[in-house]
Amino acid sequence: MPKQLGLSLCLALLVSATARAEPDFDKSIAPLLVRHCLDCHSGPKPKGKLDLTGRKATFAGGKNGPAVVAGKPEGSPLWQRVEADEMPPRKPLTAAEKKLLKDWIVAGARWGTDPIDPFRLTTDKRAGYDWWSLQPVTRPTLPAVKDRAWPRNAIDHFVLAALEANGLQPSPAAERRVLIRRLSFDLLGLPPAPKDVEAFVKDAHPRAYEKLVDRLLESPHYGERWARHWLDVVRFGESNGFERDLPRPDAWPYRDWVIKSLDDDMPYDEFVRLQLAGDVLRPHDSSALKATGFLVAGAHDTVFPASDKMRAAMRQDELEDVVATVGQTFLGLTVNCARCHDHKFDPITQKDYYRLASALAGVQHGERNLKPEDGNKELAKLQEHVRALEKAIAAIDEPVKQAILAERRKNDSKPVTAKPLAEWDFRADLKDRIGELHGTRFGEAKMDKTGLVLDGKTGFVSTEPIKKDLREKTLEAWVQLAGLNQRGGGVMGLETPDGVVFDSIVFGEQEPKRWMAGSNFFKRTQSFGAPDENKADNEVVHIAISYAADGTITAYRNGVLHGKPYKSSGVATFKAGEGRVIFGVRHEPAGGNRMLAGTIVRARLYDRALGAEEVAASAGVRSDIVAEADVVARLSAEIRARRERLAVDRQQAAGALAKLHALSPTKVYAVVPQQPEVTQLLIRGNVGEPSEVVAPGGIPSLAGIDGDFHLKPDAPEGERRKRLAEWITDGKNPLFRRVMVNRLWHHHFGAGLVETTNDFGFSGGRPSHPQLLDWLAADLTENKGSLKALHRTIVLSATYRQASLPREAALAKDAGNRLLWRRSPQRLEAESVRDTMLAVAGRLDPTVGGQGYQDFKSHFFRGTQFYDPIEQIGPAFHRRTIYRMWARGGRSPFLDTFDCPDPSTTTPRRAVTTTPLQALTLMNNAFVLHMAEQFALRLKKDAGDDVDAQIDRAFALAYGRPPSKAEAAQVRPFVARHGLSALGRVLFNSNEFIYVD
Amino acid sequence: MNSHETPAAAPLLDRRGFLSWASQGLGAAAMTSLLLRDGLVRAAGVKAEASDPAPHFGAKAKRVIHLCMCGGMSHLDSFDHKPVLMRHHGKPMPGTEKPETFFGKVGLLRQSDWDFKQRGQSGLWVSELFPHIAQQADELTVIRSMVADSANHTPATFQENTGFRLNGFPVMGSWLSYGMGSETDELPAYVVLPDPRGLPAGGTINWSNGFLPARHQGVALRPKGPAIDDLVPAKKIDADTERDSRALLESLNRQHLEQRGLNDALTARMRSYELAAKMQLAVPQVTDVAGETLATQALYGLDSANTVDFGRSCLLARRLLERGVRFVQLFSGGSFGSPRINWDGHEDMKANHGQEAARVDRPVAGLLQDLCRRGMLDDTLVLFTTEFGRTPFTQSAADQLGAGRDHNMYGFSVWMAGAGLKHGMAHGATDDVGWKSVDKPVYWHDFHATVLHLLGIDHERLTVYHNGIQRRLTNVHGHVLKEVLA
Repeated sequence: MPKQLGLSLCLALLVSATARAEPDFDKSIAPLLVRHCLDCHSGPKPKGKLDLTGRKATFAGGKNGPAVVAGKPEGSPLWQRVEADEMPPRKPLTAAEKKLLKDWIVAGARWGTDPIDPFRLTTDKRAGYDWWSLQPVTRPTLPAVKDRAWPRNAIDHFVLAALEANGLQPSPAAERRVLIRRLSFDLLGLPPAPKDVEAFVKDAHPRAYEKLVDRLLESPHYGERWARHWLDVVRFGESNGFERDLPRPDAWPYRDWVIKSLDDDMPYDEFVRLQLAGDVLRPHDSSALKATGFLVAGAHDTVFPASDKMRAAMRQDELEDVVATVGQTFLGLTVNCARCHDHKFDPITQKDYYRLASALAGVQHGERNLKPEDGNKELAKLQEHVRALEKAIAAIDEPVKQAILAERRKNDSKPVTAKPLAEWDFRADLKDRIGELHGTRFGEAKMDKTGLVLDGKTGFVSTEPIKKDLREKTLEAWVQLAGLNQRGGGVMGLETPDGVVFDSIVFGEQEPKRWMAGSNFFKRTQSFGAPDENKADNEVVHIAISYAADGTITAYRNGVLHGKPYKSSGVATFKAGEGRVIFGVRHEPAGGNRMLAGTIVRARLYDRALGAEEVAASAGVRSDIVAEADVVARLSAEIRARRERLAVDRQQAAGALAKLHALSPTKVYAVVPQQPEVTQLLIRGNVGEPSEVVAPGGIPSLAGIDGDFHLKPDAPEGERRKRLAEWITDGKNPLFRRVMVNRLWHHHFGAGLVETTNDFGFSGGRPSHPQLLDWLAADLTENKGSLKALHRTIVLSATYRQASLPREAALAKDAGNRLLWRRSPQRLEAESVRDTMLAVAGRLDPTVGGQGYQDFKSHFFRGTQFYDPIEQIGPAFHRRTIYRMWARGGRSPFLDTFDCPDPSTTTPRRAVTTTPLQALTLMNNAFVLHMAEQFALRLKKDAGDDVDAQIDRAFALAYGRPPSKAEAAQVRPFVARHGLSALGRVLFNSNEFIYVD
Repeated sequence: MNSHETPAAAPLLDRRGFLSWASQGLGAAAMTSLLLRDGLVRAAGVKAEASDPAPHFGAKAKRVIHLCMCGGMSHLDSFDHKPVLMRHHGKPMPGTEKPETFFGKVGLLRQSDWDFKQRGQSGLWVSELFPHIAQQADELTVIRSMVADSANHTPATFQENTGFRLNGFPVMGSWLSYGMGSETDELPAYVVLPDPRGLPAGGTINWSNGFLPARHQGVALRPKGPAIDDLVPAKKIDADTERDSRALLESLNRQHLEQRGLNDALTARMRSYELAAKMQLAVPQVTDVAGETLATQALYGLDSANTVDFGRSCLLARRLLERGVRFVQLFSGGSFGSPRINWDGHEDMKANHGQEAARVDRPVAGLLQDLCRRGMLDDTLVLFTTEFGRTPFTQSAADQLGAGRDHNMYGFSVWMAGAGLKHGMAHGATDDVGWKSVDKPVYWHDFHATVLHLLGIDHERLTVYHNGIQRRLTNVHGHVLKEVLA
């Protein structure tokens, strides 16, 4: 039967069938309304005020009265407008569709599922549940191809079938010189060494190419290359961004974790599970903790307003950024677009957004301690060595020290106790035991036998004003905290009546878990560089801060020096009758993160800066601090010399230890989870309009997988992320693997099968080879998530091995190379430009991992951390560019000209631009000129004084090939006249250096 | 000078050294190469990158100067005259609502520390805070009903410049470079002139391209030495070597291209070296203000220590625009902390705003006059904005009349001047005491939509695809303020 006849016959059957029976609303009418009407007639502001999503609204109608009158099509405006082809505008219904609608009204307009789910079907304006990327992955069979000789693996069948269908032919295979350069840059981001090029070109082994691929995939530089792609997607930055932009010196262990995981070929699902919930899934595994650096890789504002509402809005903004990154990175879904309303293009409701937000609501920024890495023998040995040296020094010092202490005791039998200006014992009352600075309680401040109990929300104490001018002073308090994760509460402070000027003992504000001398606008605040507090939630600790007249501020904990004193901008004056003492609040007004949660037992105020001995005495510990100089002064010349040698050894060993520590970190900037409040849907995303409570959950519109986490709205924080990780990495999740195989494809070919690698929704691109995408996704599952296996499959394909030369006929048909009739030439990425110069100049430091380098000078100035670029000259700058510290405000002008992305925003695809600033950079930048000089030195070293040999070597290093005769003839006189470094500069600037075939 | 600009910005060559290098060295080489190729040195335009490039309709303005007052300039002490506030001076805020403020301290109401007068023919109210700008009142289009979504400096500044409160979105200058291209290929399309006292909080984040290609990022000119990075070689390279290097590079590239054929990217890279040479000549020329007459220099306040910083930036801005730069952004104010070097007058408005206004008043007035007499104001847009205003009550205890004001996101003033606007007018209004916008509230999206409109751009058509959405400067909002258009 001819095809067309069959089709019209079917339609006729359909029409005649429906003529007799009442159309089924859910099967026939609802889809029709969804496809043709609901794009306009739904939502909070439906067109003509007519909402067709529910029975009631439809019958009530809009501006023009009831839309449908049951049984009477002629009296139903809906039918009238449709029949007249006025609706839907410009796209009238077909005769069959019209008949369906009419029959439904005639038969009584019975409604089915109410309201209609507008996401049920894809329309020409938006995606529904039937959207391609939400359907389960199935492994397709290989399509038939005419040229059976060409395909090397499954990939080629799909590609060739599409080429043949479009009358195109693949390109011939590229020559070996091209292939090794291509592979080396693709897999490692570095040029091949000339000897490797020559060996591969000459390798007669039938599996020479496979051997090369395997060798490259085993290189530790593979992880460095592909980690950079991942860090772009997760917008990894090493500072907070926003106003203060404080650095995150311990963010890099996450970067190293990514590199190592890729090098180890960790299964992709595990790779993702750990990033979402490593701390929950493997609580005793430091490496899993590092993985959660992902959750806090984004920007973080540390400037908090006093208003609760303003703070809540800030938190919602931050959560949106996290939800956006999770949704786009792992699912290719722009879930964040549903924060204020249902997603305009994809089947994601506003409620879905808040369910996902609830799963991530406990994510907070901070630093976490890492266990020393097991099995690091060298580290243990060095530590032992340092300990031994310290013991030897102590053996010399100790008798002398004891003698000095004994003399002290003899001269002054009682420890020095200074006289306070005021003293409180909150176990009894709020009275000043010495003067008249009696306290008054505010908010939920309670007293019991342990002391002044503060709730962290409203409770605090303020005293009478001090009747004399106060400049230098010491604040001293005994306090137990209700928890170590609080950020910014004040224990004890001094403030002016308006709270504008203050000095306070503050916990965890700028630095989590640390004590600091809080002051207005951090005017007198700097880090003490002391260790994290780890006991004050379990026991009472004594904290004192002294303020000297010259601005020096010193902290003590339990009677001993805490961190290092520093010289602040000066000492504040609190005028007589103005200064008041406050407890439990950083400064007034009360509220926000200024409030302390904990118990203050006792406190003292002094009108001068106490010395170390006095503080020790007050804390009840006898100071045993004896200055090193005092000890050394009493030693004999001989012993002094011995001690000096030991001290030098200790210093060297400690230096080596610090270096090792830089490789095995003790801290990581990672998630510091907090049990969140229950999540409520916010109408229009407005924190002032909370609505229904939602439980943590996923996106229900993904086919074949349950989006319900089966958790209560107040489920424990860890459970939420654990379930989220399970749901995302579920073997049946249709998006998870499709999205990742597409990312790999993108980086190998310069464009993904879906060009929008972060968006598989309606606004994104459609796959050029949908079956190939599914085949690769299924293959990833089959290979147990091995990304290396996937790389291997891709680069072994004939598709990948094609030459890159253009062909006019093919260009005319497919200029963008979507069908892959050649391999598109690729410009090196910024990092590779820099790394390649280092490599060919023979200066690349191949160290993998560890603390990175900084190509800026950083300083804190007026509340903001600034990062000023410096010249990169010297071995410190010879590491690969991935080890650069990526401060958000510290971008590199050099790398930026080559399209390095802003680390504040996720960049799944980098732009490739060509600009005059790029040319200026490569011609003039100090680093480039320096590398050209190093290149010249290397050429002389490698090739001796023979100019031709030098030129051969230069071309081999820079291009992986010998010069042509014409080139050699040109270069020879150039080198004779201007030298080898001038040649290096020219080669670094050339197209062949920057573009890979 | 602040520590952060000393070593990094230290000149690699002094100016005289640079000029002599430029004329004998690369300058000469560049010149030779250009004369051979183009016949003469001439700036060409740079095409827009947007798929739907401007203009979408008749443009009134071709270029923009954006003057950013960092820290939150008080509308109540400058452009929003409040007689009721004078009467209530020293009294508590009327009404029962407890105002939400950044620092949470709501003191007594305080009248302006400066007298207001009606100015010019228009009778626009401008205070004595800006005596010189006041004389140009008839050129101004003041918007008195601005509303922001954050009372926190940096998110509010992001919103002022990008429409969004988060890091990572492109700023207005980047959008214009992307949507309009440039009238010159000798200079960057978007140039930033920071306050020499220091960068604004967040530093270079404030002129980020966000998710637009990096070439649309703002290029900050340094106050000393070569104005942009890598304009001249970091080490001495003599003219011969430079010339021969360029010739060899060109030749290697040509041979490489011949083997590959039909490659736009490779050709474009070759062309970029010629553009770079042009830029090397153009940048020192444009930044050399010595050729301006003494009268012009005085007009901008270059003759006074207090105004020379901002005056030089204003004069430089005019010179950049004359040569085809699309968007020049000037910052008045650095980061926060104490003593203050921006408009964040928490403690003492009189001292703080007095100090800041004195630095910009004459230069801005001079800029308006200079643009006007050169006819440039006919197709140039001048924007004078701040991230938010300040509270009518002081930041102090409830029963105290303090001297400083807190942040106010609910109502504040900005102004525009130049092409396509009704001049000498004020649009919208705050309530009687200047706390909240009540008449025709204007959001940043509206402001941005209006700026784009004046440049011939439909703000809904200036888009770039990014992660699932056609992103706009105006997000999904924005209404052009028709009432301020001429």
